[in-house]
Amino acid sequence: MSPALAWGLILGMALTNTVIRLVPIAAISRLELPDVVHRWLSYVPVSVMAAIVATQVLRPGGSWMLTSDNPYLLAAVPTALVFKFTRSFLGAIAAGMLAFLALRYLLG
Amino acid sequence: MPPIQAADPFPTRRSLLLRGARLGLPIFMVYVPVGAAFGLAATAAGFTLVQATACSALVLAGAGQFIGVAALASSGNLAAALIATGVVNLRYLLFSATLAPHLKGVPRWHQVLLAHTLTDESFAVNIADARAGRAERFSMTGVGLISWIGWTLGTALGAAAGGAIGDPSKWGVDFAMPAMFIALLVGQITRRREFVAGALAAAIALALSAWLPGQWPVVVGAITAATVMTAAPR
Repeated sequence: MSPALAWGLILGMALTNTVIRLVPIAAISRLELPDVVHRWLSYVPVSVMAAIVATQVLRPGGSWMLTSDNPYLLAAVPTALVFKFTRSFLGAIAAGMLAFLALRYLLG
Repeated sequence: MPPIQAADPFPTRRSLLLRGARLGLPIFMVYVPVGAAFGLAATAAGFTLVQATACSALVLAGAGQFIGVAALASSGNLAAALIATGVVNLRYLLFSATLAPHLKGVPRWHQVLLAHTLTDESFAVNIADARAGRAERFSMTGVGLISWIGWTLGTALGAAAGGAIGDPSKWGVDFAMPAMFIALLVGQITRRREFVAGALAAAIALALSAWLPGQWPVVVGAITAATVMTAAPR
């Protein structure tokens, strides 16, 4: 890859990403938002996370995997349970990755 | 979520930054291996060590970087690669808007810094902390900085190691990001209405995923679910 192309991508991505992430903060942090908007925003984190998780676990790599030997789906269960009962991110991620490796090995 | 710490009655900037860095430590632990996977992918696509590391330091967008580099390597078309990464990163508009009310009165330079270190993970940690009434701009900066260091460091290590560590997927790195998201999601569900919002958003995103590119299904699913839940009688 030519240096110009690589740096073009790097600087272009840096610019787009900063604009996407900064504009709402810069614009909205000056405003008094009505309650209904606060209520709407309160549902955003859980909605985005749930949509991402569902897509990653049921459509890993971009295509449906609705089978009982889907290691992403099966490993999600211990990950969620460990987090629910320990509230430890690291514990949940470690348990999830171990379960994922074991399942992928067992399921071939 | 780490155990709730007793509030320091006279916090200094340094103690707030450190508190944020502690909150963000799990993010660091995930970003190092996933960043290393990006470093490997980028060097395989023709990036140098310096370019791969600069990319992570300046862009800090996990999936967006993978997709941008892959799109450029396969098509050689810079505009197409930038559009692909922009579409993947659209959800940050929602995160940024959600964080905004918590950044009232924060100086512009500090908003730029916080915007640059806004990722899925730093956002989830900071918004939970903000809703518990504890986050302020320096603790948020601590979360962002430790995330940024993990991602950049991981990328440099992965790019430097090149083929020496082999295929990262054999270590289960494929599941590191999903596992992080699952833990973040469980942490977000504290009420029945949040569970319903999440289920609705997930169903809509999945239904649209075959038709819409990039993260559009996630964005449309989340906007629809938040709107339905706001409009629904309590």
